[in-house]
Amino acid sequence: MDLPAGTRNYSYSEDATIFRTKTQKILLTLLVLVLLTAPLWFGNYWLSVANLIGITIISVTGLNLLTGYCGQLSIGHAGFMAVGAYTSAFLTQQFGMPFPVALISAGLLAGAVGMIFGIPSLRVKGFYLAISTIAAQFIIIWVIQHWTPVTGGFSGLDVEPASILGFVFKSQMSKFYLILVITAAAIFAAKNIARSRVGRAFVAIRDNDLAAEVMGINLFRYKLTAFFIGCFYAGIAGSLIAHTGATISDAHFPFMDSVLFIGMIIIGGAGTTIGPIFGVLFIRLLDVLVTKLSPALQSAFPHLPPGFTSGIAPLLFGLAIILFLIFEPRGMAHRWQLFKSSYRLWPFSY
Amino acid sequence: MGELLQYVITGLAIGMVYSLIALCFVVVWKSSGVANLALGQLVFVSSWFAYEMLYQRGLPEWLGLILVIVFALILGWLIERIVLRPLIAQPILSLITVTLGLGYFLQGLAGIIWSQSLVPFQLFSEQPIHIGNAIIKQQELWAALISLLLFGLLSLYFRYNKMGVAMRATADDQKAVQACGIPVTRIFSRSWMFSCVLAAVAGVLISSIAGSVGNSLIPTGLQAFSVVILGGLDSFLGAIIAGPIIGLAEIVGSGYLTSLTWPGIREVVPFIIIILVMFVKPYGLFGEERIERI
Repeated sequence: MDLPAGTRNYSYSEDATIFRTKTQKILLTLLVLVLLTAPLWFGNYWLSVANLIGITIISVTGLNLLTGYCGQLSIGHAGFMAVGAYTSAFLTQQFGMPFPVALISAGLLAGAVGMIFGIPSLRVKGFYLAISTIAAQFIIIWVIQHWTPVTGGFSGLDVEPASILGFVFKSQMSKFYLILVITAAAIFAAKNIARSRVGRAFVAIRDNDLAAEVMGINLFRYKLTAFFIGCFYAGIAGSLIAHTGATISDAHFPFMDSVLFIGMIIIGGAGTTIGPIFGVLFIRLLDVLVTKLSPALQSAFPHLPPGFTSGIAPLLFGLAIILFLIFEPRGMAHRWQLFKSSYRLWPFSY
Repeated sequence: MGELLQYVITGLAIGMVYSLIALCFVVVWKSSGVANLALGQLVFVSSWFAYEMLYQRGLPEWLGLILVIVFALILGWLIERIVLRPLIAQPILSLITVTLGLGYFLQGLAGIIWSQSLVPFQLFSEQPIHIGNAIIKQQELWAALISLLLFGLLSLYFRYNKMGVAMRATADDQKAVQACGIPVTRIFSRSWMFSCVLAAVAGVLISSIAGSVGNSLIPTGLQAFSVVILGGLDSFLGAIIAGPIIGLAEIVGSGYLTSLTWPGIREVVPFIIIILVMFVKPYGLFGEERIERI
């Protein structure tokens, strides 16, 4: 952990603190205040955007643990989210389970399914694993489309809103607080997983799996752990999608979302805790901008081709991924790091 | 009996087109080590271009198809020059992701230019042929024939042409090739152009079999990865042999399995095969097993 000029650590607990200096604590308090009062000045539209961003951050944080830290590329994360969403919807609907239990079970089942598709990771890596997770995505979605008694088939399922101890999260505002708390917990947990023995083992596997194995890291166990944790996060995110929207169907979890999640990691910065947040914000806000702006552009310039509104978003996402990989492969987190260190070293920047 | 014969011929024809798509992966993977996940989108874009040339512009078939090939060559050159060249020697994760981004980009571009979701596409005569009591679409026979012709041409090229030999050498050992004075970047460029032409031909053939151009071409490109995996990533022969196997499994399997399981199993058979191959023989039938040492 880099510290500003003049600050020293004198104990292990100081060394392990995440928010160390007074400035960081003040900024954190400000951020918390802003987030807590956000519903006051966000309209309903922006609250729904914020909710989507929160849920996506949970899922992408999980994917970042799996791909960014452990180096196991997964292009099927939307599929694992679908597993979580349907588990949770099914449990609350058929068995009347309370929402928190369904939430955790959604995570656990998604994690278990992820582990099954992660088993090939012991023998293959890189491209092979990418393909097997793509296959996972398509198989999961196909099962969801056709296993009608459980998943409702193509028409999907109606889901009750989330409720804890009798309180029903019905308004956008209450959903915002629910998602905010879970997202914060998820990010905090991810930060600590990444700093723990498990997280350091992940990084070792990513950087050189053979060397990691020689050092005594059980590859099979840790790779499966990474798949479990990554997909657990996806399951939680899926469950939240189910319980904050009124219905779910297979169309909520398209393959292109899985690709977009990878893009978010790249744009944000793989292997950092802050990266997924930046990446999700970037892509989701770009999405909002495009949906707001493109009809206006379409009417202002009638010569634009008719597919402009629907095609411009994927075009820009693809372009963003390509440009970031070419010009800033370490993502926005790296820029953020540079900014912080120039600020931290001031006025002794040499 | 006629039913089975019909399934077998359809399966073989579709499988050979899969082989073509798989080959456009293998060509790039062998020479430059880039895993191209944008295959579906390449097929998609070139099919739409073919539609534009033949139907919107009303060009004669021979001229339109030549223009499609030219378009594919230019597309391949542009992709290599603009997107992949700056990323030489980057980790595999970046190389995979950049092709995903490329796929997204191409899909968006095609969506802007051709906003219809499904258009009819017909290249060969619609008149079906009767063999015994099986009814075979003519397009399937044409697809099989053209694919076989291309396989032949490609293997001749790689065996006798100087550039083809250089490409095989690059696949074998990049550094040694560079030391011999062969321009490796030009070989990368060449292999991308090849790959795009194969994708374009495959796109035209598969659209003419389906009778339409539409969004389902993108999953088709992904299904072709089962051929790549089954045949082995770095084997031309593997791709050519595995294609018909996958095609047969898909058509014959779904023909008889649909009544046992859910409908639509045809789309997931290739993915189930991928998972099975991953568990049993991850490097495929003809792929080279990588043994790593420290």
